[in-house]
Amino acid sequence: MSTDLHTLSGAYAVDALSPEEAEEFRKHLDGCPACREEVRELREAAARMGASEAVTPPAHLKANIMLAADRLPQLPPKVRHIGTAKPSRWTPRILGAAAAVVLIVAAGIGISQLPQDDDNLRAAPVAQVFDAPDAATVTVQTSNGGELTVATSEERGEMAVDTDELPPLTDDQVYQLWAIAGDDPVSAGVLEDVDKGAAMELPAAGTQVAITIEPAGGSEQPTTEPIIVVDPSAV
Amino acid sequence: MPPEPGLRLVPSHESADIDALVGQVARGDSQAFGQLYDEVSASVYGLARRVVRDPARAEDVTQEVFLEVWRKAARFDRALGKGKTWIMTIAHRRAVDAVRRSESQKRQDHHGAPDEVSHDEPADAVIRDEEHGAVRECLETLTDLQLESVRLAYFNGYTYGEVATLLEKPLPTIKTRMRDGLIRLRDCLEGAR
Repeated sequence: MSTDLHTLSGAYAVDALSPEEAEEFRKHLDGCPACREEVRELREAAARMGASEAVTPPAHLKANIMLAADRLPQLPPKVRHIGTAKPSRWTPRILGAAAAVVLIVAAGIGISQLPQDDDNLRAAPVAQVFDAPDAATVTVQTSNGGELTVATSEERGEMAVDTDELPPLTDDQVYQLWAIAGDDPVSAGVLEDVDKGAAMELPAAGTQVAITIEPAGGSEQPTTEPIIVVDPSAV
Repeated sequence: MPPEPGLRLVPSHESADIDALVGQVARGDSQAFGQLYDEVSASVYGLARRVVRDPARAEDVTQEVFLEVWRKAARFDRALGKGKTWIMTIAHRRAVDAVRRSESQKRQDHHGAPDEVSHDEPADAVIRDEEHGAVRECLETLTDLQLESVRLAYFNGYTYGEVATLLEKPLPTIKTRMRDGLIRLRDCLEGAR
């Protein structure tokens, strides 16, 4: 390991690295148990420094948080593989009758995201799906080492993805969502903010939803293998 | 921790209690979640106040932190550290994210402007418990540059690159001072136990 990289442990422990550097350092940590131990210890020291600034919060805050938690599903302890399909082939097809139908379906599947600085864990449209009384959720692992939680609500006719466990990308990459019926992926939009997730109309039965990593701005057709393919009807 | 009854305004707890509460929260125990809130909310909110400064935004950050704790409690791994450290790490990351988002929104503004003074500063001063004293004493063992680097990063949310610019020092210097400072703080706090 390079000494240079190792000395980043302090800055890493106090979140003082750029997202790119942090990602690089995380990779370094994977193969360096001593570094992980050092980060753990430095974080503990930093946490005690932070805790020494304790200020009693306003009394109303607890009730708000308890109420919000009550409606928020918890992640399961172990990742389960449910409802994932094998990645489809990405063969480009000439637009035929079937593809035209997909386009019409997909037109209603635009991603809805809140661009403004919403301090909720998820954007409101996403939270609404997760909070729906009939919401079904599943957490799946993605091939790039992250995980994705999907919620569907038949009642609302919507689905949502919680994406904040996806690994961060470099500045010139984005996650892009696709609706696939048959072999033809149709873009459902680029994920603007992984912390917020995305909500969309529940696709028709037989349509799968996939996520790929694309160059910034998104692509017309997927240029990489999907990191995950989910069948919403199987959630 | 050495008992100093005169300074104890809030009860101090063994980390085992917090770890156990996180374990109960992982099983969906909302009463345990309430207790966990009582145990650590002042630490989380206090840190958020220091970093984002605005009390209303600090409340938002605190809420985000506890909802993340609720949601991810089952993923907490004691082998990777204490529950309190896990929660404070989440708190710090969320507070820093919040302050960086707002900084990027007002990028036109000049850096280095004095911190905004909030109206209710005196009313909710920092809780002066024994932990506060121990940390303050240990921070005094850091060199000026170590202390400055650690504080600007931890409490002001600057990246080490920004800290280097602010302090007009080379990047590698700040990188190592930040680490050395934290190591010194760690060693001192371990000795103070």
